[in-house]
Amino acid sequence: MIVFFQSLISGILIGGVYALIGIGLTIIFGVMRVINFAHGDILMIGMYLTYFLFTLFHIDPFVSIVITIPLMFLFGAFLQKVFINRALNALPQNQILLTIGIGLVMSNTVMLAFTSDYKILTTTYSSSSVEILGISVSEPLAVSFAITVAITAALYWFLYKTDMGQAIRATAQDREAAQLMGINVKRMSIIAFGIGSALAGTAGALISPTYYIFPQVGSVFTLKAFVITVLGGMGSIVGATLGGVLIGVAESVGGVYIGSGWKDVIVFVLFLLVLLFKPSGLLGTSKD
Amino acid sequence: MNMKTSTADIRGIATLPLLLTAAAIILLFLLPKFVTSTYALHIMILIFISVIMGSAWNILGGYTGQYSVGHAAYFGVGAYTTKILLQYRHIAPWYGVWAGVAAAVATGLVIGSICFRIRGPYFVLASIAVAEIFRVSALNLPGLTNGAEGILITEVPPFKIGNTVITDFMSKVPFYYIGLVIAIAVILATRLVQNSKLGYYFQAIREDQDAAHSLGINLTLYKNAALAISAVFTSLAGSLYGLYVGFIDPGTVLDLGLSVQIVMTCIIGGIGTILGPMIGAVVLVPFSEALRSNMIAQALIDSGLVKEDSPLGTFLKEQLSHAHVLIYGILLVVVILFMPDGILGFIRKLFASKRKETA
Repeated sequence: MIVFFQSLISGILIGGVYALIGIGLTIIFGVMRVINFAHGDILMIGMYLTYFLFTLFHIDPFVSIVITIPLMFLFGAFLQKVFINRALNALPQNQILLTIGIGLVMSNTVMLAFTSDYKILTTTYSSSSVEILGISVSEPLAVSFAITVAITAALYWFLYKTDMGQAIRATAQDREAAQLMGINVKRMSIIAFGIGSALAGTAGALISPTYYIFPQVGSVFTLKAFVITVLGGMGSIVGATLGGVLIGVAESVGGVYIGSGWKDVIVFVLFLLVLLFKPSGLLGTSKD
Repeated sequence: MNMKTSTADIRGIATLPLLLTAAAIILLFLLPKFVTSTYALHIMILIFISVIMGSAWNILGGYTGQYSVGHAAYFGVGAYTTKILLQYRHIAPWYGVWAGVAAAVATGLVIGSICFRIRGPYFVLASIAVAEIFRVSALNLPGLTNGAEGILITEVPPFKIGNTVITDFMSKVPFYYIGLVIAIAVILATRLVQNSKLGYYFQAIREDQDAAHSLGINLTLYKNAALAISAVFTSLAGSLYGLYVGFIDPGTVLDLGLSVQIVMTCIIGGIGTILGPMIGAVVLVPFSEALRSNMIAQALIDSGLVKEDSPLGTFLKEQLSHAHVLIYGILLVVVILFMPDGILGFIRKLFASKRKETA
């Protein structure tokens, strides 16, 4: 039983980070109807940024997100303005291929610059754990979960309470109506892609103390991000939060009971089942 | 998307294209008699494999409009079936290949009956998920696939046609002819599809699924038919690759990168056209091989544009060979943004605008 709770807790903790990745993707999809296949590679850029801030300037990964967030926001805004914006009216399949291409360029540029060697970011607390009610919890995971909760809360406040947040949600709901109401839809798109990238980058920063850092790490997270957003319902922010935690738990518990090699298969099978039986997702409302 | 090749529009026989095609085929058949360089043959075989994969995908993606980004599944199933049968059951690949085709078609029909219920971007995601399930399963079933270590077989058993026995597989010539024959077969199949009733059904589904459905076209049936044809040739390409290269592992024959490469061959050449995958293969394969073997870096240094001992020179020499995937990415972005109909469509548009200017 203790094994079950152990895996449940670590699943929830890693699920928090997955939620950040998923929310980023879902905001981008909601506002632009573009499925961003470069999402994992943006996360990878966040990991490298954190790695170099740590090795060159000795900034703790959890502190460095103060720098990572604005930088990744600008990076995402740049990607939107230069590439994605030109393909907003293209076929959805072509948009997917475009973002796959952008992702390939990012991961291979990083590979050319820093080789494909695995990099490890070792902090003093990388492998330490704390005991809560007889269950040992990885310290970096616990800290990253706390930060995730704080960021998610701030994001909810921004999206639901501020004018700009409401403008973004309005654009997601109905682009044309939002435009008629005087919302600068183009600007909202850039901001949405910036926020999405910042969230992916932050997730990268948060997992960098516990993950290997290498140029191809992104593809795993891209696929996971889709599973999370489809599970929660494309475009639903609450759904993505829930989906992230669900996938984290499914992976962690499934990994313990079925074998860690198979945990990705569990996730993909879950994904196919949702696509088949409830394509609008657990909390989504089908519009297309 | 709506382009039709000029030959298709004219009923009866258009002599010039037919003559050109015949000449090209004869030339390709005679090529190994004159070209003895194994490297040139190697490039040609890679081009054939690429043409087979691209054209096979084209039937499903280009003509039926179902963008599968999981074709590595069929490629891998073909390659693995052939090699597993050869390795553990000692069944000659000349039979094993057909088992591979059967396995790939069966896989395709199972996948199709699940994934064809969903449309557009969701179908793309589902096709990726299925291919990933195959990749992870191959990694985790070492008893069947030898897991991450992959299967290495360099010895190809002799192949008997009639009274002639072919054994000189080291010379690459047999692979050249096998590749050429399958490539011609897939192009012929595409041509048949393009001008047949079946093909019109496919294209109707691509243009408007609901309209096609309302006209009485059974969507699931014809999408699965397109997938089955596509899976046959993709599996053949996989088996040929596995036998030719000798080594397969989940990271090469079942990888998402391979699926993307298959789609790219089509997109870059021109989707939904017979010539498209051929143009894509002829552009992509030599280019990426030249990068991989460091030919471009060497050429830049030899031409005196870059000094060998300068920092740029050493960087190019050491790193450019890793850049072939980067070039794929850049090409993909450029093609989607600036020539969404591929090279073929771009050339046609260029000619059309020129004609307008002169008129």
